[in-house]
Amino acid sequence: MIVISWVMLLLGSAFCLIGTLGLMRLPDFYSRVHAASIIDSMGTILVLLGLLVQTQDILVIAKLILILLFMMLTGPTAVHALAHTASLKEKDSEPDSASQLS
Amino acid sequence: MFTVTFIAILIVMFFLLIRVALGPTVFDRILAVNTFGTAIVLLIALFGFLVDRPDFLDIALLYALTNFISTIAVLKLFRYKRLGKAADR
Amino acid sequence: MDIAILVNFSLLTLMMLVVVVLIRLKSLLGVALTNGIYSLLSAGLFVTMDAVDVAFTEAAVGAGITTVLLLGTIAVTGMEQTVSRHGKFLPLVVIFITGAALIYGTLDMPPFGDPKAPIHTHVAPHYLTESTNEIGIPNVVTSVLASYRGYDTLGEVIVIFTAAIGVLLLLGKTVGKRNK
Repeated sequence: MIVISWVMLLLGSAFCLIGTLGLMRLPDFYSRVHAASIIDSMGTILVLLGLLVQTQDILVIAKLILILLFMMLTGPTAVHALAHTASLKEKDSEPDSASQLS
Repeated sequence: MFTVTFIAILIVMFFLLIRVALGPTVFDRILAVNTFGTAIVLLIALFGFLVDRPDFLDIALLYALTNFISTIAVLKLFRYKRLGKAADR
Repeated sequence: MDIAILVNFSLLTLMMLVVVVLIRLKSLLGVALTNGIYSLLSAGLFVTMDAVDVAFTEAAVGAGITTVLLLGTIAVTGMEQTVSRHGKFLPLVVIFITGAALIYGTLDMPPFGDPKAPIHTHVAPHYLTESTNEIGIPNVVTSVLASYRGYDTLGEVIVIFTAAIGVLLLLGKTVGKRNK
């Protein structure tokens, strides 16, 4: 059980680091959204599941599942809204007013 | 083993901060701040396990919700140019 | 390495970097967002100090409400920083004088973590030893905030409530006028 937890934690941190690498190196905003979603999805899920198998306490397990649930609901929603707003801005703004965003 | 993940998340936070500083568009900054919130939720959950006090998970839960609210507020500001009232398109 | 030292060191370093970013940023929206990061980090620091209530407050007020209020202000005033017309010399002098006064004020304080300091000898031992019997809450910080200093906390709540009403009146009025 402990071994499973360690593997999950290590994999989760590896995914977080890969996502960060992408966030730093990828060329434009929409590709960086993909990199950030690696941290938001795989990193979070694996780290929280790794913590989940560490404990026996039912209250702690319930809280971890709640956090996982909220993250799964809110993370994609926020990032989707972000990318949608960015695409709308890009569509209806002239080139000279696009520089206003930076 | 918690320490390894803890340090990994700290590195992630450091680079996210650099992304906030660099920009280039404001959406990159919002994305980095949103992901920073995720990282700090993980950090506090891990810290609770590191010092063997999992009560700290309550705060991690609160952060997960607060982070979502502020991101949506920013995006509403962008879409409708104001925060107070319901949008008329 | 001791984990508490690692946490304190890394969180404080990150907070310092956030301040550097805050100084360098020109976009006001970026400044508002970075402010939220600073609040989140300081709330994490409060968590490591076991002051869970303070961390709750910092997360809700600092990272949540303050960010939204700053964004509301930006929505009213515009997104770009205006170039200041006065010179750079006078603000520097004011900042140096204020900083020197603050550092002078800390000279009389006892060293950090000194067990003989007045704050650790007056009522703190009583709180630490008796709070479980008298209040019955496991966290000492919570029992101090909510019970021993209950009136103090009530006063703080009144101050925050008044400030919130003032801000809402200011922002709501301006936004309403612009809409007409």
